[in-house]
Amino acid sequence: MRGWTFWRSSIARVALIYGLLLAASMTAVLGGVYLVTSRLLAVDGDEIISIEAQGITEDFREKDLDTFVTEIVDRAEDPWVRGGVYEMRGPRGEFLAGNVVVLPELHPAPGGWVEFDVAVSHGDANASRRIRGRILTLAGGYRVLVGHDVEDRHAFREVMLRSVAWAVLVTALFGALGGWWLARRISRTANAITASAGRIAAGALGERLPVSGSGDEIDALVGRFNELLDRVDGLTTTMRAVLDSTAHDLRGHLNRIRGAAQVARHAAHDPADAQAADLVISEIDRLSETLHGLLRIALAESGTAPLEKVDLSSVATDLVDFYQPVAAADQLQPLIEPGLAVRGHRQLLAQALSNLLDNALKYGGEGPITVRVVRDGQTALIEVTDRGVGIPPDERELATQRFRRLRGASGLPGSGLGLSLVAAVARLHHSTLRLEDAEPGLRVVLVLPLEEP
Amino acid sequence: MKILLVEDDRRASDYLAKGLRELGHAVEQTFDGEAGLAAAQNGGFDALILDRMLPRLDGLEIVKRLRSAGNSVPILILSALDEVDERVQGLRAGGDDYLAKPYHLEELAARLDALARRQTDTGPVGRLKVADLELDARARKVSRAGRKIDLTAREFQLLEFLMRHAGQVVTRTMILEGVWDYHFDPKTNVIDVHISRLRQAVDKGHDVQLLHTVRGSGYTLTDDP
Repeated sequence: MRGWTFWRSSIARVALIYGLLLAASMTAVLGGVYLVTSRLLAVDGDEIISIEAQGITEDFREKDLDTFVTEIVDRAEDPWVRGGVYEMRGPRGEFLAGNVVVLPELHPAPGGWVEFDVAVSHGDANASRRIRGRILTLAGGYRVLVGHDVEDRHAFREVMLRSVAWAVLVTALFGALGGWWLARRISRTANAITASAGRIAAGALGERLPVSGSGDEIDALVGRFNELLDRVDGLTTTMRAVLDSTAHDLRGHLNRIRGAAQVARHAAHDPADAQAADLVISEIDRLSETLHGLLRIALAESGTAPLEKVDLSSVATDLVDFYQPVAAADQLQPLIEPGLAVRGHRQLLAQALSNLLDNALKYGGEGPITVRVVRDGQTALIEVTDRGVGIPPDERELATQRFRRLRGASGLPGSGLGLSLVAAVARLHHSTLRLEDAEPGLRVVLVLPLEEP
Repeated sequence: MKILLVEDDRRASDYLAKGLRELGHAVEQTFDGEAGLAAAQNGGFDALILDRMLPRLDGLEIVKRLRSAGNSVPILILSALDEVDERVQGLRAGGDDYLAKPYHLEELAARLDALARRQTDTGPVGRLKVADLELDARARKVSRAGRKIDLTAREFQLLEFLMRHAGQVVTRTMILEGVWDYHFDPKTNVIDVHISRLRQAVDKGHDVQLLHTVRGSGYTLTDDP
């Protein structure tokens, strides 16, 4: 799991890809140079050997054996021919002439080409020299080795090969380091932005994404994003202000009407007047209840309600306990796992659960109502299930909308805001509200991310 | 009770003052924050009713200034801003209670009564007694006429709440807030059922009924209804 996250992180990937790419291109370039150079050197050397071999073959054909052998001896001992290597063997393999004794051990490649090392003494030190040559098979079973010292060429090639290997390795290392540095810079910025954005999404609308100050493209992007947030923040603040002042105003009016009605109620002598005043008062109470419900929903939906760590288990246990006396014996069946904590708004969560229990008791008939609050991986599952008539699939979408009352509910009191508040509270908690068929009955499911204790 | 009412909505203020006077209180009205603060500083009131949003000086600001000057007069904050978080702000500033508009006069009167009594209470008491009903908060024991009464934890809390407000009317919302800490109204009449269960435990088999329902307002625990 840890290793997987490591490789998934862009830093490790970018570093690896940078390293590999640079190493590959370095190998291609330097490898090409190496191949061309060593090829040129080899062709040059082999040509000299081939020309000499041709001369020797012609000599053998034109001269008698003794003269030929003497000539080989001369060549082998000629101080002017530096680095020349010769050896001649007879038909039975006997040594006839030459400055080395290696021929029987050699295994020639096609064309008679051989390459071998010869030990030579340079003063006191014994050094090994690389020789490349050709074995000529002549008429009558005579064999002649014509070779040349290619130690310099050989050494040059080795040095070059080693340099190429080192260059590739160092480039790969620098590439990986550079990639790592670059990716880490980007990834740090990205992580900071992600963390900020998360807090902003969670309701901290005043927060802004961090600007590094380097003025690069990421800064420009972040700057633009912050402008966007300013606008969202401004609009939200305006909306809230409008909402608050409207609510304030409405409440003020309702309050005055209620006061006047109450005064009228006290002063009424005629029972008809008293009845009228009572009606006004009860209508105002209903109206203010609806207003209250709408404002609660607006609060939940604005995402500005402060969230804190809430012990969901105890909230649920308390509520079941609270509703126990209004339910029939054993009608409420709680299954609440203790110690489940979520990040939330205690009052709104409690109210949402209370609405669900209210609904289950109101529409669920006499059947059992189960309240399940359990851990499900990294989430807490809240389920309220009744055995009533349920909600038909085509009406489930409508059920969570404001003021929507379902066909079956027309005879019962209610504002039509209960489930829409639950849906708004769910959204505030980054959760969703699901209505399912409990066959028979309704199951309402809320899934909240768990807060680690 | 002598009450200072600071409310900028004149008509609302008049209705409220009229209602409170009918309930037997003396009411002095002021209509902006500065006048309200000045009147409150002069003293002589048993309780203050402050609107949350006032011209010149905000209601919360008045509360803060009075409290920082050591004035401990009971304050009920009235507000058209009704959210749990607003309520918390009001109480944190030093208000004693918070009531949202539109309010019921009965609700306001009951809360005012509770505030004024709290003032005269001598802190938390371990033992509460109403007629022959006794409650020991520390030992978590209840008895009536010497006979032990078994209650659940919530029933005990509910009874303790009622006994601390003995002789006063407590409303359903006061009970919801005080006992369950719920700042919303459950649609069903849950509180009524809790009360009638408690009544069964407390009053059944006794000649004198202690737990009474006050029509249209709430409940009261007293042997002298």
